[in-house]
Amino acid sequence: MANMKTYAEPQPRGMRLLYILVGVGILAALYRFTFGLGASTNMGDDVPWGLWVAVDVLSGVALAAGGFTITAAVYIFNMKKYRAIVRPAILTAFIGYVVVIIGLVIDIGKPFSFWHPLVMWQYKSVMFEVVWCITLYTTVLALEFAPAFLERFKMDGLLKVLKFFTYPLVIAGITLSFLHQSSLGAFFLIVPAKLHALWYSPFIPYLFYISAIALGLAMVAVESVLAARTFKRPQETEILAGLSKGAMITLSIYLAMKIADLALAGELGLILTSGAASVFFLLELLIGVIAPIALYAQKKVRESVNGVLLASSLVVAGTVMNRFNVNFFTQAGTGTFYFPALWEILVTVGLIALAVLAYRLAATYLPVFHGTERT
Amino acid sequence: MTNHWNDFKNSDVILVMGANPAENHPVSMKWVMRAKEKGAKFIVVDPRYTRSAAQADLFVPMRSGTDIPILGGLIKYIIDNKLYFRDYLASYTNASFLVNPDFKGPGELNGLFSGYDIEGRKYDKATWSFQMDENGLPKKDPGLSNPNCVFQLLKKHYSRYTLDVVSDISGSPKDKLEAFYKMYASTGRPDKAGTVLYAMGWTQHTVGTQNIRAMTIIQFLLGNMGVAGGGVNALRGESNVQGSTDHGILFHILPGYLPAPRASWSDLATYIEKNTPKTKDPKSLNWWSNRGKYITSYLKAIYGGKATKESDFGYAWLPKLDEGMNLSWLMLFDAMFKGKYEGFFAWGQNPACSGSNAGKVRKALGKLKWMVNVNLFDNETGSFWKGPDVDPKDIQTEVFQLPACSSVEKEGSITNSSRLAQWRVKAIDPIGQSKSDAEIVNELYFRVRKLYQKEGGAFPAPILNLTWDYGRKNAEGKVEEVNTHLVAREINGYYLEDVFDKKTGKQLGKKGELCASFAHLQDDGTTSSGNWIYAQSYMHKDGKIVNMMARRGKADPTGLGLYPEWAWAWPVNRRILYNRASVDVNGNPWNPRKAVIKWNAAESKWEGDIPDGPAPPMAQEKGTYPFIMKPDGVGSVFGPGLADGPFPEHYEALECPLQENVLSKQRINPTVKLFFGITDAATAGAAEGGGSAEDIFFSCDTRYPYVATTYRVSEHWQTGVMTRHQPWQLEMVPQQFIEMSPELAKEKGIQNGDKMKVASGRGSIIAFAVVTDRFQPFKVAGSTVHQVGLPWCFGWQYPLHGRQGDSSNLLTPTIGDANTMIPETKAFMVNVEKA
Amino acid sequence: MANNNSTSKGVLVDLTRCIGCRGCQVACKSWNERSAKPTFMHGTFTNPPKLNSETYTHINFVEKTVQDEPVWHFIKDQCMHCKDPACASACPVGALTKSPSGPVAYHYDRCIGCRYCMIACPFQIPKYEWEKSLFPWVRKCTFCSERIANNLVPACIKVCPTQVMQFGALDEVTAEAQKRLKNSPGKYVDHIYGKDEAGGTAWLYISHVPFEQIGLNTKIPAQRLPDLTWASLNKIPAAVGGFVVGLSLIAWFRNRGNGSGQSSPGKEK
Repeated sequence: MANMKTYAEPQPRGMRLLYILVGVGILAALYRFTFGLGASTNMGDDVPWGLWVAVDVLSGVALAAGGFTITAAVYIFNMKKYRAIVRPAILTAFIGYVVVIIGLVIDIGKPFSFWHPLVMWQYKSVMFEVVWCITLYTTVLALEFAPAFLERFKMDGLLKVLKFFTYPLVIAGITLSFLHQSSLGAFFLIVPAKLHALWYSPFIPYLFYISAIALGLAMVAVESVLAARTFKRPQETEILAGLSKGAMITLSIYLAMKIADLALAGELGLILTSGAASVFFLLELLIGVIAPIALYAQKKVRESVNGVLLASSLVVAGTVMNRFNVNFFTQAGTGTFYFPALWEILVTVGLIALAVLAYRLAATYLPVFHGTERT
Repeated sequence: MTNHWNDFKNSDVILVMGANPAENHPVSMKWVMRAKEKGAKFIVVDPRYTRSAAQADLFVPMRSGTDIPILGGLIKYIIDNKLYFRDYLASYTNASFLVNPDFKGPGELNGLFSGYDIEGRKYDKATWSFQMDENGLPKKDPGLSNPNCVFQLLKKHYSRYTLDVVSDISGSPKDKLEAFYKMYASTGRPDKAGTVLYAMGWTQHTVGTQNIRAMTIIQFLLGNMGVAGGGVNALRGESNVQGSTDHGILFHILPGYLPAPRASWSDLATYIEKNTPKTKDPKSLNWWSNRGKYITSYLKAIYGGKATKESDFGYAWLPKLDEGMNLSWLMLFDAMFKGKYEGFFAWGQNPACSGSNAGKVRKALGKLKWMVNVNLFDNETGSFWKGPDVDPKDIQTEVFQLPACSSVEKEGSITNSSRLAQWRVKAIDPIGQSKSDAEIVNELYFRVRKLYQKEGGAFPAPILNLTWDYGRKNAEGKVEEVNTHLVAREINGYYLEDVFDKKTGKQLGKKGELCASFAHLQDDGTTSSGNWIYAQSYMHKDGKIVNMMARRGKADPTGLGLYPEWAWAWPVNRRILYNRASVDVNGNPWNPRKAVIKWNAAESKWEGDIPDGPAPPMAQEKGTYPFIMKPDGVGSVFGPGLADGPFPEHYEALECPLQENVLSKQRINPTVKLFFGITDAATAGAAEGGGSAEDIFFSCDTRYPYVATTYRVSEHWQTGVMTRHQPWQLEMVPQQFIEMSPELAKEKGIQNGDKMKVASGRGSIIAFAVVTDRFQPFKVAGSTVHQVGLPWCFGWQYPLHGRQGDSSNLLTPTIGDANTMIPETKAFMVNVEKA
Repeated sequence: MANNNSTSKGVLVDLTRCIGCRGCQVACKSWNERSAKPTFMHGTFTNPPKLNSETYTHINFVEKTVQDEPVWHFIKDQCMHCKDPACASACPVGALTKSPSGPVAYHYDRCIGCRYCMIACPFQIPKYEWEKSLFPWVRKCTFCSERIANNLVPACIKVCPTQVMQFGALDEVTAEAQKRLKNSPGKYVDHIYGKDEAGGTAWLYISHVPFEQIGLNTKIPAQRLPDLTWASLNKIPAAVGGFVVGLSLIAWFRNRGNGSGQSSPGKEK
């Protein structure tokens, strides 16, 4: 690719590792397709949803929430300072959703039937809605990111057509995101007798949505810091401070909702009396919500790259924990202990590596960062 | 069974002891549950809490082998509290009979009855007799107060079975015993019925027969024999095992419970003379006085035209037992072990797993020249020569495996525990080369006969004279295909001539027709019947041939569930035996709401079930006693017929945890045949009993400290040959297991699922631990006794070549009941260690 | 969804009558042509220990000690065939459907293997063919729908020797359950399990032992579980409308000064 046009200095560091991880992930996926889920995972009748659902789907979708939050900020709320990160955020989201879809195809038992929900409609199913939203939103993201391609290959005619649809696409993206980000929570509305009361709530769709916004902002911040470091670009400190403030506000709303929800249900006492569930719940809340709020609240943290990175990483970790907890405490009733099998971990790691790899290649060969056109 | 399966629903109290119907006769529980829903009480007495116990109103735990103390305690309770049914007892049993004043019981003779011969280990029964009056009839005291009358002797005998003693022996808690006694004794009222369901848990003991005798006495005391919802009911272990005993499969009987001829009974007249009981009492029907008719008709059935007056009806051709000869299971395999047999047919059985002391059985098979294994599948018997610890090079036995077809691949009748013979049609043709048993026998017969025809031989007559008219014959005279209907008709029997009633001259039957009743059978060769009790099962009715066993009528005129038109029950379709005891001497039912029969005085006839004999009620001039199979016509509270005593007395099992019998100095049954050593010291050698080292036993020995018992589970059939290969069955019970109490498990550091080595003096097996509160330690004679339990449905062949556990009969001893020689597999001693 | 109690078949399971013989377990395997999986004696007779793709029903042997006395209960477990099944509403492709005659039926041709039915089921019923690589089935009790359609009773009910189960119209068996509770006071726990759980099921249980002591989940709300999801899903049209209108208005309001529609995502002007 020596003669390919680049927009950033190719960064060979770590690329070999990424290729290896992706390659191993592909082999692990082949193992799953050859020998089945029983042989390749530690899932079973007691734990039908494992690591792949918890990370690749529930967390993956939430991690890609930066796409709609940043487009909303820039296009709907006209917050101009975030323009610089619109395209990276969309790229992250797009890659994220593609990875989610790959993860889903690996996880479902009949991969060749992945298209069934598109033609066999069962509109009362949350899963049906989620599949449709993800499909549509990935298309929207593809179109939102398409200008990067079109610019790269100088297809100005098409570019014009797309530009005309910018606002409809943005609005569609935000709406679809609301629907399915919340619906990932709505998955669990049907299990009042299974999911632990610390997590079960009729408002769980909204809790998922709000936490996805906070996570989206935090994730964009993390990715912005890391991208700048990787591509040796200056840190967007002003943007980071803004993202931090946004995340702090959203997290505060989330925390208030969560506590109010438990209080209304009269279940605040459960926070301390539920044994292992209490521990996991408190960890999730401390790491992902309370600690970040406390950090973000300090101006010096918001203005420090490392401070933002730390606080935002905590949000990422805490939200992923939340999705794990919701998934596994739904399935805890049978008393079966689940820890992912090696193959599951390799696939998941491979998918994350794939996302990072795709991001780095795109950032190198496509106009992702503003003002990076090189010849 | 004196009664029948459906009849359980008529009970007020159902006692299950020595059985486990929920697991081994699940369908019977349908009727138990019906009774329960109508308010009946259900009692289970067992060493372990079973699936039957789970349904019980009262569960009484007991140490294996202590049934007689528990039942003796019940007898004492009934007498002490005067809960017996006095009229019944006085009129219908020998309770009022006066016994020889020289008779003495174990209370006086330290565990023995009068007349014991130490050398011969048997009784001279001279003193076990009744006092006779000048007419040759037993002297009676209807007031039941004469100290020599049976009732007073019974009372005296069981006065030793106090609650304390019973509890001390059995380990059963006293409050539970009392609750049981109270509940069961409540059926002594005329309008109440109690029944008992028993199985191998009672029979497979050195005192097996006496276990059942004890219950029979209780049923007489409470007036529960012959009534709906009463009786003594053996739950037979296989669907057709009743049929097989009916048809004489045991060594000591011919079909229809005719005794097997002995060498000393040289001709038919002698046979009849020796086997026809006599009575001088005109009111006793004494049914066995017809013996001559039945044996003659039997000989006519099997030898046909060759059975003539001149040929003594072919009596000489029947095989004879030598005097004192016993060819029961243990004896047979002992003889085989000693090399006394050349060949052996293992037909539909798996002795290498089912035989007590199966290790000895396996060795015995190796002493044979040849063995024919007829079975649905190969089994541990057919493949014994490649079993564990066997080097095929050492085995010279030639084994022939003949594949038999299953019951659904052939037509014929089966007779269940209710004595109900039901005709079954064939569902599918036999698979592969498999054949029905009848076809295999047909082949065998034809070839053996041909050899005799060709070579003569020592005694060809028994074979050459046999009738064999079971279908069309080919040019060689071989039946091409056995027609089961013709076999069934031969069993029923024919009128070979026009037959007339000898007294009235009325014609009973036309020549050539099928016999309509065993009452029509003759001793002059004019009738045939392959099995007199089955006469009427396949009869001529209004000129037409009717297979009574194939009937499926659902009418229930009495409302008691007798279903007289459903199939056919022997004898003469009687559904409840001894039903004349269900009415008073005037023919009025004790319990009018559940009238089995009743006398219609206006029409001078019985209504309801087929009565035990057509005579009018006992009080009438021509009336008869109810227990027609007994020479004296009454129920035997005092039973001098048995080898080990007229009243059941408690003796410990051959292997037991106690040094001494709590009740007497006689530790074990004094009349059992010993294969090894002497009664009370396990240290003695084999020679004394004429046994082998394999027959060793260890009683009250610290090396084998735990009481063990064996049983079946719902999920497997007998030794498991038909179920272990069935993945669905094996999935439910996949491994040989050993059940034990948490207390024992704790003592030995055993966890659920642990692999255990269970050993007795005879051998050891692998078993997987099931630790459960359903087992509990017993307080016996002041010390703690642990009981363990093992199913016997496994074998080395499958699954996994024995790694899942071999047969628990490798542990069981060589000892049998004093009367029947049924092996004692329900109480023996083992040790349990982690493997 | 067909929830009519008079057209739907139902089964009353009277646990007081079960003797644990497991004829039902075998009859089910026989009729449904299921195989066996390797098992072990692990301390109880419950085998297989749990339902699986080859075992649609089994008897759960519940052993306890009450006042120093052993007690043993035999609990049949199989699909409850909810009136409004959570599994059917969860399935994105309609691979699980409630038939008017009662059975919750599975359609392999539609299934994608997402296993949301397994998550959604409050009774832990749908099981999965984990060993199959690309074409696994979700498996569960079929209510012997093909037998029912031919006027036969389900296989497990047919073989039961003690008539633990009564098969009939759902309203009939419900009435029978009520009758038994009324006629035998003190014999049963005063509750018909399945009458209200999860909005009602076609299989009803009555018992002499409190249900929570014999492994039945008594925390399942008396509510049609799909309603919980639907309460959220039915807001979608409004949400879509609200978002589109709201976002458009905000965008118009916030961008009114700088000539809307001129910028494209990611491109700095």
